[in-house]
Parts: sequence; C-alpha cells; structure tokens
Amino acid sequence: MARKAREAASSAEDDVNLTPMLDVVFILLIFFIVTAQFIREPGVEIDRVEVNNKERLNPLGILIAIDSNSEIYMNKQVVPMSEVGFRIRELREDNPKGRLVVQADAEAQAGVLIDLMEVVNDIDGLGRVPLSVVND
Amino acid sequence: MRGRASRQSDEAAVDLTPMLDVVFILLIFFIVTSTFIQEEALGAEPPPPSSNAPSNPAPAIIVYIDEADQIRVNRKLTDISAVRGGMERARAENPESALIIQAHPEARTGTIIEVRDIAYDAQMERVNIVRSAG
Repeated sequence: MARKAREAASSAEDDVNLTPMLDVVFILLIFFIVTAQFIREPGVEIDRVEVNNKERLNPLGILIAIDSNSEIYMNKQVVPMSEVGFRIRELREDNPKGRLVVQADAEAQAGVLIDLMEVVNDIDGLGRVPLSVVND
Repeated sequence: MRGRASRQSDEAAVDLTPMLDVVFILLIFFIVTSTFIQEEALGAEPPPPSSNAPSNPAPAIIVYIDEADQIRVNRKLTDISAVRGGMERARAENPESALIIQAHPEARTGTIIEVRDIAYDAQMERVNIVRSAG
C-alpha cells in the first residue's frame, strides 16, 4: 500500500512540468507578433549619403528605391514613373499609417528623384519627402 | 475500483504537447518573417506646383547643380565645402530670401542631398528643390 503510493508519486515527478517553458514561449511569440512589420522591400542595394540632419522614421510603411541606373523599384519590381502613384495607393491599403521613404542612390539622376518627389507629394501629401541616408 | 479512479485522474491532466507544437511553429514563423528595418532620412521639399512658379516676388538664393555636378551659388562657381559660406553671404545681403536648389536632370542625387543637408546646417528657411529646364 505504502509502496504503491510512493511509486505513483515518482511517476508524477517523471512527467516534466512544461508550464514555465510554455509561458516563456508565449511571451516570445507575443513579442514577435507585436514587432512584426510586413514591409514590401524594394530589393535593391543603394549607396546612401552621409548627412548631419537626419531623423529616424518609425514605423516604416512604404519604401521606394531609385537604383544607380535611375530605375524605380518597389516590391522587388521595376516600376515606371507613370505607375508609381498607383503602387503607392495600393500599398497604402495594407499599411495606412506607415511612413514613406525614398531610397535614392547617390549616383541616380536628379531628374528622376525630383519627378518621384512630385508624384509622392501629390499622392501622399507630405510637405517634405524623406530621403534615406546613412544609418548609424 | 481503484484502477478506474487512477485512469480518470490521468485523463484530467491536459496534454499540452500538441499546443506547444503549434505555438513553436507560430514562433518560428514570426521569427523568420520579422524584419527589423531601420531607416533614417533627410526631409527634402518637392518642387512647388507649377501654377505659382513664374511669379516669384521674393529674391531667392539659387544654388544650381549642373550635369557635371558643379555647384553655382547665385551663378558663382563654388566648391561643396564653400556652399554654406556662399549661402550665408547671400542671405546676409538679402534676408528673407528663399533658397532654391535647382538641379540639372542629369546631376547626381547625392549632390542634391548634400546641398539640402548644408541648407539645414545653415538654417535656411523656405527651401525648394526644382529641376532646371535644360
């Protein structure tokens, strides 16, 4: 009788208690869900400029890149200038309050950048268009 | 009798393993898809609407960047390091004047950003970036 009781107790201790681990895993899960940003990246590497007057943008929403050949990239695709406005509206549907950033390569042509800034200002109504610079 | 009682208490303890599997899969999904992108940016003004471009009553400091990336502050050829001095001198002559950064369409983007940064350093107000006709 007494031996049986001891056996039952030891088999209960063999069962590892998973509850603390589950707590940790849940906390990690919630952290990653909250911090997850689903941004469609332009997918090109650009050469940024080092400046003194910069501001950190948070949260990010829409990224538009101009590569060194002056082609516009959004969501890993080349986008002609005439379609940029439409694409911005499309991405705004998914992400109404993320900040828009233009990643312009230092070697890109100024004409393309200025045209793009005009389009972005028309669609998104920013007084100043944020241009990506070296990040530290 | 005792046997049935112990079986009942076994079933009462909920088996957490399948839920743990699901939670782990969710966790791995969010770790893999999370991207921590950080961006720092400099604000640059787009050209004003073309309707009020011709009428420009206030005198303006014009920084012109040509296709070879040479900078002219009020038509005077200036090195990038001297642009700030040129801007401040022009502003001292004409306070209240706006600054117009006029870039040739084939100029480098990097030069425009550098000049706009210098304008922030010099605390210029009412800056506009426009393209030159040529």
